[in-house]
Amino acid sequence: MIRVRRALSGPAGAILLVLVLMSLAMIAAGTSPVEGFSALLYGALGGRNQIGETLVATSALLFPALGIALAFRGGLFNIGAEGQLLIGALFAGGVGAQLHVPGPIGIVLLLCLGAIGGGLWGAIAGWMKAQFGANEIIATLMLNFVAAYLALDLVSGPLKGPLAAGAETAWLDPTYWLPTLLPHTRLSIGLLVAIAIAFVLHWVFTRTVFGYDLRAAGEAPEAARRSGVNIARLTWLSLAISGAISGVGGATIVTGELHRFNTQLSPGYGFIGIAVALVGDLQPLWICVAAFGFGILEAGGLAMQASAQVPKDAIHVIEGIIILVLAARRYVAARGVGDIE
Amino acid sequence: MELIATLVLLTLIKGTPLIYAALGGVISERSGVINIGLEGMMAMGAFTAVIVSFATHSPLLGLACGVIAGALVGLLLAIAATRFKVDQIVAGTGINIICAGGAAYGLVLLFNQPGASVQVAALGANYWILIVLAFVLAIAMQVVLYATPWGLRVRACGENPKAVAAAGLDPLLLRVYAVTISGALAGLGGAFLSIGELNLYSDGMTAGRGFIALAAVIFGRWNPLGATVAAVVFGFFEALQYVLQGRIPWLPSDALQALPYIAALIALAGITGRVRPPASDGVPY
Amino acid sequence: MEPNAALSLRNVSKRFPGVLAVDDVSLDLLPGEIHALVGENGAGKSTLSAIAAGEMHADSGDVVTSGTVGLVHQHFELVGRLRVWQNVMLGREPRRGWRIDVQAACERVAELAKRNGLEIDPNAFVDTLPVGVQQRVELLRELDRDPAVLLLDEPTAALAPAEIASFFATIVALAERGTAIMIVTHKLQEVLDYATRVTVVRHGRVVERMANAGGSVDAIARAMVGGELPQVASRELVTQMPLLAIRNVSAGSGERTIRNCSFEVATGEIVGIAGVEGNGQTTLADAIAGMIDCDGSIEPRIPMGIIPQDRQREALVLNWSLVDNAILGRQHSPGVRRGITIDRARAASDARWIVEHFDVRAASVDVPIRTLSGGNQQKLVVGRALIGDPRFILAYNPTRGIDVGAAALVQSRLIQARNRGAGIVLISFELDEIFALADRILVMYRGEIVGNFARDVADRAAIGRLMAGSQ
Repeated sequence: MIRVRRALSGPAGAILLVLVLMSLAMIAAGTSPVEGFSALLYGALGGRNQIGETLVATSALLFPALGIALAFRGGLFNIGAEGQLLIGALFAGGVGAQLHVPGPIGIVLLLCLGAIGGGLWGAIAGWMKAQFGANEIIATLMLNFVAAYLALDLVSGPLKGPLAAGAETAWLDPTYWLPTLLPHTRLSIGLLVAIAIAFVLHWVFTRTVFGYDLRAAGEAPEAARRSGVNIARLTWLSLAISGAISGVGGATIVTGELHRFNTQLSPGYGFIGIAVALVGDLQPLWICVAAFGFGILEAGGLAMQASAQVPKDAIHVIEGIIILVLAARRYVAARGVGDIE
Repeated sequence: MELIATLVLLTLIKGTPLIYAALGGVISERSGVINIGLEGMMAMGAFTAVIVSFATHSPLLGLACGVIAGALVGLLLAIAATRFKVDQIVAGTGINIICAGGAAYGLVLLFNQPGASVQVAALGANYWILIVLAFVLAIAMQVVLYATPWGLRVRACGENPKAVAAAGLDPLLLRVYAVTISGALAGLGGAFLSIGELNLYSDGMTAGRGFIALAAVIFGRWNPLGATVAAVVFGFFEALQYVLQGRIPWLPSDALQALPYIAALIALAGITGRVRPPASDGVPY
Repeated sequence: MEPNAALSLRNVSKRFPGVLAVDDVSLDLLPGEIHALVGENGAGKSTLSAIAAGEMHADSGDVVTSGTVGLVHQHFELVGRLRVWQNVMLGREPRRGWRIDVQAACERVAELAKRNGLEIDPNAFVDTLPVGVQQRVELLRELDRDPAVLLLDEPTAALAPAEIASFFATIVALAERGTAIMIVTHKLQEVLDYATRVTVVRHGRVVERMANAGGSVDAIARAMVGGELPQVASRELVTQMPLLAIRNVSAGSGERTIRNCSFEVATGEIVGIAGVEGNGQTTLADAIAGMIDCDGSIEPRIPMGIIPQDRQREALVLNWSLVDNAILGRQHSPGVRRGITIDRARAASDARWIVEHFDVRAASVDVPIRTLSGGNQQKLVVGRALIGDPRFILAYNPTRGIDVGAAALVQSRLIQARNRGAGIVLISFELDEIFALADRILVMYRGEIVGNFARDVADRAAIGRLMAGSQ
């Protein structure tokens, strides 16, 4: 009996929980689990197009998840990935519509702009925390809303594309589109960029002084402070880098997937990214695997809604439950709301 | 001058859900549990109030059920925090996503339309009762926290649960009560949003109020009356944004909507160095 | 088994993951006696008290009491931000209708204090009180329940020598009124002075029971350790030259202020700073370490090895391995860092060096350091501070809460560093330690240096008086 319990408390148990909950959600929607799951799995992996969509979602989730994991390792809770992603996308889309440089340079430039935009947005919260001790959870969340309204405003007005019907920028010139990774799908090399960032982060965490300082600050803030770590600088720097990674993600959505910017480009990747980061145990390489799992859920969920009439919000409830369950595993050094460093 | 009257009334209307949520935040944190899930509890309260009102045509029943729904979600967080000793911030985030997703899922299932419910029986002209009640509850909580034995024990819990245990009491049980009440209050605030101010539920209608309420808690120094004042101030900015829409030509309407959030940000930055949360806030016992 | 015992522990055992903390212990407490429970750190004394007081459940065995059991903890469990009466009356608040009757509560606390010969202001906020007075609050809280048994865990750790006498006067009076008293302590002289019976525990088992009639400190100490006490290295003659000068240093705020502290440290010298906890030692240590700003000067700024007072919070990352902890504090220095990366080979070899030279008992250098005992954790912290042979060392309670063997090793290493010419500032709340190690003894009281004695002229009684603020 104890063996069963122990086996269930690990990843096997989590998967089982997901399967049970999803079955319940399907039944409540009037669909049999068999029908629901087959719609989901077919929608995620059933063919080249479907796999392409799954990997598109994987890529979009991987960026914010990596950024969130970095902040989390430093003891900071960044729930502003959604806003950071949006601003990065805004920078890329806004500038991209007016760009006149050679193709490859343009692509690199737009991705860098994404990093700058997201990094700026993260740095604001980071600076507020470092300078004033402002609680970063509230700050990053407030900034999400500010980002949303700012983007909406700019894209309905000054940045609105001349031929656009709704609030969005003009389409990017095709020379600035990220090359396709899987022919005849929407998947671009953005996925490779994300994976590359994952490897870089892994190296940073395990080998570099910055990674050492970051992890010390996250796990033992007082010991870190006394060991010479500049906590204030680390705070805003890690939130800035965290935001930058999400920002690059936003830029890849603009240049690789949508080829323009509008405010609907993220169905909450910044929030689902939290679940991805936790499931990946805050380790960049495992996060890649987790992102693929969640990519299946996202892409499959859309198909499940379309063909089996199960609202895709069920997926989000499941993701929330996963986060709740995983709250038991990860314990970040205790921080109060309104903590002063 | 009718502009001022409108502004005052709108401030009260916009401030009331914030007051309820902020009071919920105060009682929870004073007992030592950070309630990041206020947003989700408000959403559940708002959603439940609407579907019960839809089913029974009784806004009063809807209100009651909204409170109960919030309390149940609060109980969920309470158990996670005390029995399972989880990371309270992560748990609260999970709860928010569960509630938002659950409400969206329920919307599609029950009303066959995503995004918003149909219109239901609401409080209508009686909404002012909830506004008055908010202030009454604020005063009540102030008195309970500072003059009653239960309030003393809750405050001790948030500072040093070991001292509470040494005095022969059960700090975990006290926290469960406090956080459940916290959820009930947030649920009431959410119910006001859906059937007090309006008469329907729409996706995302809580719009971050649960977090603005947390900023109010900090700004009010974890004190019920202080948090209420802060909540009213944030409500003012929301009201201001409404009133100014379209009146200032060079200020775009979308950017104006960001006003309450920017106000919360500035408030967070402005109270530096002079705040001390309850000593055991967020620390599992 | 005594039939009229106030408290009876029968074959009590308690296991924690990886260690048997209490092993088949039986103990009787009689009304009116003062019973000392001694043993070194990690012997299971605090666990036993917690079980006796009902705060913890034993895995097996019985606890039988004739009435309420009160426990005054080693680290007080008080709410600093509440008032004295609120702490004392928590859970038993006098009421007037639905509200607390504040007046009645204050009167009751004042009366209880007076009856026991304790001075206290019921309305004061606990965190404004000196540590010795805070203890009275915890004591009053337990006494208000009119306990048949009173357990005290290291009650004199934070008291000045003069306060210790008046503390024991209160305790003796309580015993005369019939309360059964058990004191958990490592202060053997106090045991000889006041206790009627002594029980010695080692590794969780009772190893000796003594009636206290003219025994000796050494006899008890040997029973505690189970053999001869480990020897500490001996001091050698060293030429002394000026190393560090602290002039007119003021820092901190509120209760933790220090004012105009001045003294000098020479090479080959251990400067011991004696004082009761809470008189500014932490502020002084932080100022010397450069953790806080201060007025005045600390010159010259030389690299220093630091042993912080709270190893688990200030010196270690508990989940990390010994290797990762071995370089904590040195990760930015040229030898350990290579560009932007950490030299992992160097970290591993440093860890192995410390393990070998400081007798750190661990399964390997890659295990998480939280699996090590407190004594072994501290040995790593000390080894890390001394690696590279720093010219100046700041040691703050370096042997707090660790077993006798580890303490002896730490003290030996400090003396050996001194013999090699290092200058050391040793801040300790244990007067015995200061007298054992220091070449010069300073006394801190209320944030000021009030005494400065060379070792050979230091008078223990005079220092005790200075620690309490009198002349």
